[in-house]
Amino acid sequence: MLAAVDSCVLAGLEARRVEVQADSANGEAKFSLVGLAATSVKEARERVRSAIKNSGLDFPRRRLTVNLAPAEMRKEGSALDLAIAVAIALAEIGGRAPEHSAFLGELALDGAVRHVDGVLVAVRGLKKAGFRSVFVPATDASEAALVEGIEVIPCIHLAEVVAHVLGHTTIVPQPFTVATADSASDVLEHDLAEVHGQEEARRAIEVAAAGGHHILLSGPPGAGKTMLARCLPGILPPLEPGEAFEVAQLRSLLGDLVPGRPLDWTRPFRAPHHGVSMAGLIGGGSGFALPGEISRAHHGVLFLDELAEFQANALQALRQPLESGRVTITRSGGSVTYPARFTLVAATNPCPCGWSGDPVRACRCTPAVIDSYQRRLSGPLLDRIDLQVGVRRVPLAELASEPVGEASAAVRERVLAARARQLERQGCLNAQLKGSRLRHSAPLQPGSRRTLERWAEQKGLTARGFHRAWRVARTAADMEAEELIDDSHVFEALGYRLNDVAA
Amino acid sequence: MAIVGSRRPSPYGEAVAEQLAADLARAGVIVVSGLALGCDAAAHRGALVGGGVTIAVMGTGVDIVYPAAHFQLAEEILAAGGALVSQFADGTAPRRHNFPARNQTMAALSDAVVVVEAVQGSGALITAEAALDLHKEVMAVPGSIFSPLSVGTHALIRDGAGLVQNARDVLAALGVGREVLDDPLGAPSRLGFELPEGRDGMLVHLSDVLTVSAAELARKLHLPVAEVLGRLTSLELDGAVRRHGTGYVRALRRGKERA
Repeated sequence: MLAAVDSCVLAGLEARRVEVQADSANGEAKFSLVGLAATSVKEARERVRSAIKNSGLDFPRRRLTVNLAPAEMRKEGSALDLAIAVAIALAEIGGRAPEHSAFLGELALDGAVRHVDGVLVAVRGLKKAGFRSVFVPATDASEAALVEGIEVIPCIHLAEVVAHVLGHTTIVPQPFTVATADSASDVLEHDLAEVHGQEEARRAIEVAAAGGHHILLSGPPGAGKTMLARCLPGILPPLEPGEAFEVAQLRSLLGDLVPGRPLDWTRPFRAPHHGVSMAGLIGGGSGFALPGEISRAHHGVLFLDELAEFQANALQALRQPLESGRVTITRSGGSVTYPARFTLVAATNPCPCGWSGDPVRACRCTPAVIDSYQRRLSGPLLDRIDLQVGVRRVPLAELASEPVGEASAAVRERVLAARARQLERQGCLNAQLKGSRLRHSAPLQPGSRRTLERWAEQKGLTARGFHRAWRVARTAADMEAEELIDDSHVFEALGYRLNDVAA
Repeated sequence: MAIVGSRRPSPYGEAVAEQLAADLARAGVIVVSGLALGCDAAAHRGALVGGGVTIAVMGTGVDIVYPAAHFQLAEEILAAGGALVSQFADGTAPRRHNFPARNQTMAALSDAVVVVEAVQGSGALITAEAALDLHKEVMAVPGSIFSPLSVGTHALIRDGAGLVQNARDVLAALGVGREVLDDPLGAPSRLGFELPEGRDGMLVHLSDVLTVSAAELARKLHLPVAEVLGRLTSLELDGAVRRHGTGYVRALRRGKERA
């Protein structure tokens, strides 16, 4: 007899429908699986056979053919296990799968339904494709229930699923989870109140948070660059529901979601080590690429410590996502696009030994070495970082005293106000404002425009650098609730361009 | 006349070397230096700005410019009628032990040696010592007592080297006649920066030698750091201050002129 049930495989953030057809016919007992299945899917034969037998169901002792349609699409992963098993069971018993429903899940040999990655992405895709109910592993039901308008049936065991499909018993669907911000713990791991001195860098971090700008901190070892970077998430607003959903989707793909608590309202903070490969940083893998660190940092902060030590090709690959907020990666399976709108916080030493420019300790690097070290940070990359500030070592005497810095909570208030102003005016943060919209959304007083032009002329600024300084000036004005950008805002913005060397 | 100094001078040392070389070149003095980074390059450049002839004494074969970044400078020196000289055979690559010998040659080729900035034990001091052995005049430029780069020059002055405030001091030591001395050459004010009138008084808190960060200045003046940063940038645009590493110094000459 013939039976067909639906499932899907993932291509990045897209779900592709797969119809699993099972046919048991007269002939020699044999189980063949066709339809361009990768090794991980072919192995399903063994899992499914054992799972069906151990669930107290009959495995066909006839010629069994399972086809995964469409046959020209390559299928990977173990999420098709459940659908294959249900199709075989129905082919043997002679039942029909409910209309508009799909099955996802890996099977254990005893018939238990196990977790698979990307359930949230799959369920969202299935809902879009018109499915009305979806069977998912019980452990993943909470993330599936974030999608509104589709019935989510949590599955613990294959026997239970087949009984439900045949109408013998009923599994209670998981109710849709309304996304609400929890009254998240307000205790910050890193608070600006603990930072000693560093007024310039503190201010720059605040500007970065307020306008969504990328920032580079340059200074000797132990100056507090890492501490400052870690304080940034604490002065950012919590994620919006839509943003939290996007973050959850990416985490779902990587199997990173916390079971039972799929939505996280704190902004991601990713700090990959400088040994990270290009694939690890921007995304990669065989078949379809998986998201990399930059996508894990989506809507949050990507902290790259020791920027000059990163592989040159990894840094070059950062350029496009820094500009566009997304990354497209092509692998053998096809190309996928992941969102990657993060705030970059980079830290670097001014030279290999770290002490160049320090007022007390002498630098031991030769000028040629310093030059080549700084040249590793390519001009095009630095050109995309709006704020560049020097961080100095704080004298020990000051470190021993009680810190007197403002607490993160107070800074956050100002950041929230400045962000609200931008969103109301232009619907996005200043850092994301298109060059063509600057004239309209960020009007400059004539004198201020002249100032900016003079600087650009003197320091040989690129058009991109010019626009970036303009955006930062817009943020400086927003922090003072000013509608017009005046000279003081432009000057402050230009003050954060450490690497504009005089001609 | 040799002008030598640190390969990593402060902004002050670089400006002094350039200014001094330019003024001496205008007075017809041939400036000798070592084509190295920092003070040497500034001296050569200054001599070219002053329209003079300058000689680069190299620690490599004359066919190898070291550092390579000075290739264009070497070309300009030749184009202006100067010379690249070397005691080493063509094709000699830069070797650590060749440079002290080069420093002695420099002393031998010059009537006097001016040390602009030198940390203790630097190559510039080797040149000075060699000059003394050859009974040539040694002079030094004073700096801030807080600057490690001036320790070597201050030691020279303490030991009897002539003090250099401007080109006139050097010309006097060379025994050039009165008529030249009467020329209005490099009065001390030309080495310093004239404070623009009616400015916000921030410049007096900045040094020529040691960098001050915006945060330090803000603390000292009890002003918000954003405002101080903005005002410093404004001064930078006018060429009154310069960024150096993570801090600011007073610019010794206006930015436009330097280019």
